[in-house]
Amino acid sequence: MADQLYLENIDEFVTDQNKIVTYKWLSYTLGVHVNQAKQMLYDYVERKRKENSGAQLHVTYLVSGSLIQNGHSCHKVAVVREDKLEAVKSKLAVTASIHVYSIQKAMLKDSGPLFNTDYDILKSNLQNCSKFSAIQCAAAVPRSPAESSSSSKKFEQSHLHMSSETQANNELTTNGHGPPASKQVSQQPKGIMGMFASKAAAKTQETNKEAKIEAKEVTNASSAGNKAPGKGNMMSNFFGKAAMNKLKVNLDSEQAVKEEKIVEQPTVSVTEPKLATPAGLKKSNKKAEPVKVLQKEKKRGKRVALSDDETKETENMKKKRRRIKLPESDSSEDEVFPDSPGAYEAESPSPPPPPSPPLEPVPKTEPEPPSVKSSSGENKRKRKRILKSKTYVDEEGCIVTEKVYESESCTDSEEELKMKTSSVHRPPAMTVKKEPKEERKGPKKGTAALGKANRQVSITGFFQRK
Amino acid sequence: MGGAGARRLAGCGAQRVTLLGLGEAVWTKQARSVAMFSEQAAQRTHTLLSPPSANNATFARVPVATYTNSSQPFRLGERSFSRQYAHIYATRLIQMRPFLENRAQQHWGSGVGVKKLCELQPGEKCCVVGTLFKAMPLQPSILREISEEHNLLPQPPRSKYIHPDDELVLEDELQRIKLKGTIDVSKLVTGTVLAVFGSVRDDGKFLVEDHCFADLAPQKPTPPLDTDRFVLLVSGLGLGGGGGESLLGTQLLVDVVTGQLGDEGEQCSAAHVSRVILAGNLLSHSTQSRDSINKAKYLTKKTQAASVEAVKMLDEILLQLSASVPVDVMPGEFDPTNYTLPQQPLHPCMFPLATAYSTLQLVTNPYQATIDGVRFLGTSGQNVSDIFRYSSMEDHLEILEWTLRVRHISPTAPDTLGCYPFYKTDPFIFPECPHVYFCGNTPSFGSKIIQGPEDQRVLLVTVPDFSATQTACLVNLRSLACQPISFSGFGAEDDDLGGVGLGP
Repeated sequence: MADQLYLENIDEFVTDQNKIVTYKWLSYTLGVHVNQAKQMLYDYVERKRKENSGAQLHVTYLVSGSLIQNGHSCHKVAVVREDKLEAVKSKLAVTASIHVYSIQKAMLKDSGPLFNTDYDILKSNLQNCSKFSAIQCAAAVPRSPAESSSSSKKFEQSHLHMSSETQANNELTTNGHGPPASKQVSQQPKGIMGMFASKAAAKTQETNKEAKIEAKEVTNASSAGNKAPGKGNMMSNFFGKAAMNKLKVNLDSEQAVKEEKIVEQPTVSVTEPKLATPAGLKKSNKKAEPVKVLQKEKKRGKRVALSDDETKETENMKKKRRRIKLPESDSSEDEVFPDSPGAYEAESPSPPPPPSPPLEPVPKTEPEPPSVKSSSGENKRKRKRILKSKTYVDEEGCIVTEKVYESESCTDSEEELKMKTSSVHRPPAMTVKKEPKEERKGPKKGTAALGKANRQVSITGFFQRK
Repeated sequence: MGGAGARRLAGCGAQRVTLLGLGEAVWTKQARSVAMFSEQAAQRTHTLLSPPSANNATFARVPVATYTNSSQPFRLGERSFSRQYAHIYATRLIQMRPFLENRAQQHWGSGVGVKKLCELQPGEKCCVVGTLFKAMPLQPSILREISEEHNLLPQPPRSKYIHPDDELVLEDELQRIKLKGTIDVSKLVTGTVLAVFGSVRDDGKFLVEDHCFADLAPQKPTPPLDTDRFVLLVSGLGLGGGGGESLLGTQLLVDVVTGQLGDEGEQCSAAHVSRVILAGNLLSHSTQSRDSINKAKYLTKKTQAASVEAVKMLDEILLQLSASVPVDVMPGEFDPTNYTLPQQPLHPCMFPLATAYSTLQLVTNPYQATIDGVRFLGTSGQNVSDIFRYSSMEDHLEILEWTLRVRHISPTAPDTLGCYPFYKTDPFIFPECPHVYFCGNTPSFGSKIIQGPEDQRVLLVTVPDFSATQTACLVNLRSLACQPISFSGFGAEDDDLGGVGLGP
């Protein structure tokens, strides 16, 4: 009979292979329900004992039931050897279940090997560990990758919610999705990278500006690949030496990647111009080459404009790796940090703090965020400080290239203005690159010159000098 | 077999009136009023000590009807530690004052005068509301330790720091005063807000005649449930501890909950477990060894932290659990999260396998949630064990009840228990009374139902340390009863069975 095959199987496992056959092991091996496996084991034991009473078979049972202990009824679940079975059964007030736990040839001294057997078979079947179980849970469905990444973003958001609340850039209300989405985007890289760098807070100002642009796209996106770039960035962090530099470029590149990944945009036309401008921004940001390598597969047909820029960027990547990043001016320490994220919104219009010991941070910092806000009030978005190389001719007629931090906004017209205002002291002969494309060529040349000066002398340089 | 056929995938809880069995008792609804898990499990139709049958019943896990996580007050956003801790005491007093004034009027008449310390007149009987401070000579003080003039060696850790010379001081917003009289100095701890009734003496000390606490907060009634639902509370899994015995116990626990172990009756009962709460200390204390700091670099260069392996094991266990039942994971004293209360949830990146399931929830410590209308509130035990160290109370269940009566989860924070410097609100004050109040990692299991002054009814549960006791707790949401469930294997000596009461 086909049914009897299992008897032969068990026989083989126990006697020939000398295995410890637990019900769980049998269930996974034969692909049967756990209860059926238990019954199979019992059947085998009974038959074997009937035909050959001297059979060398040791059986362990699982007994469960309740017994009164210390005044309350305690439910016990125990794995017992056959010889102790009756004794244990007699102790229990109510016996709930008894079934065969395992069969093995040798007498077991303790239950350690049982655990090992179960553990091994479980390890090899982790993905469908409840397939043969007697209980199926409707709620336990594996999440789709999109859901899991968005939930990880939410995790970061609730954790690091407050970091951007008090920053200047949160006055944006143009996007309905503004603050939460921007935090989502900025916090996800921050959350993952934040584990590696301590100065993650310094970047939120910059990332927030970019994040706003992408707020709409990110909220609508079913970004299947979001996890991949996230992971890719983590990996690249291991490879990068100067973590600070890499972090900045990684953050930027990751957001560019996110941008590209979002394909299922119903409102592509609306977002297209928006994307073009951040592309402009991104071009002036230097992207690390290793990160780009990991994300090569993200080209999309629609983003033709972007792809052009990307090729230019890859050229610049090598030159721009070594950049000394000046930390952003951190917000003052006395800022009001709300205790719980949820509490903050409720409390902002709330009455003044309690009359007991004066809370010194509160009055001082209230003017601070608004003042920061107002300065960038006209320029509602995309103000960034980026490192630019300024080439100019000095008194002696030498061309000098300097790297300087400047505020730059998204639109080109304002950019020139700001550059002029912030670098007034520079000689007028400085070459101001208006077009983003030309700009990069300029800094490219500039950094090439600088690169030579700053590049470390390699050990083989000693020999070449001959 | 008729018995197997009677079970349907809709869950065996649907029709419960008659039971086809081998002479089993017929359970009517009345008889089920005190149905513990064991009794339910004993209702089996046929034993598995039989030849294989064609159909094997599968039970559907009871879905959670309603669940809300109300732990938002315990989540921290951006944290600033540049604040003083005085703010948390100030806000604690301000929040508790109205409750205490109410209780004072209930106890000592509505005409009792509630005065501030600065308004006290000598000899006049009145009531004062304030925060307690207990001056303990044995309390470890870092200042004393590092002070050179004392030349003290660091004190070895003790289990209790109480001393007959302890003194109580009452502090309010402006002043403090020493307390004498009918007040149990050894029992009370620093940080408790209470109301004392008495008068100030000429020596400047306050003579206490009576005192009262804020007592239980108001409680919402539970909606009645029609079927038995269980919540499993486990704490102190202690993975990475190196003890093999507890590993089998843990595996047995997981198998019972996921429905692999046991007869059909037991599996059916296990399908009624609607949620599992892991209350802290998932990792063992030994995973916290700081070898890398103490040992020489060449010895520890390529060693991995013990917690890495332990977290992998935990991930596998959580995967098995979350594939079958909603799980809430609270961090504990030895888990990789922050030290100060409230502890933030463990990061999902540590559980790549288990976070694939949405049934896994990583929550804060303390944790409060409403499961099927029953309000749960619990901690991983740091609050209770800290009070244990500084109070004469011996029983963890007694301390748990006391914290409920004082209306504060951990009064000793931030004095002796690490706490975040809150300044707007103290989230550890009970805004409302829970129905089930538990704490994890206690030395033994205990459960009690207490009554409040306004007919509140609370089930207190002390969840024992699983790695030591192999015991978990099953709370029946319908009847608010709790049953311990323990697991055992067998060892070389028979004493192993005796340890859990099953020995010869």
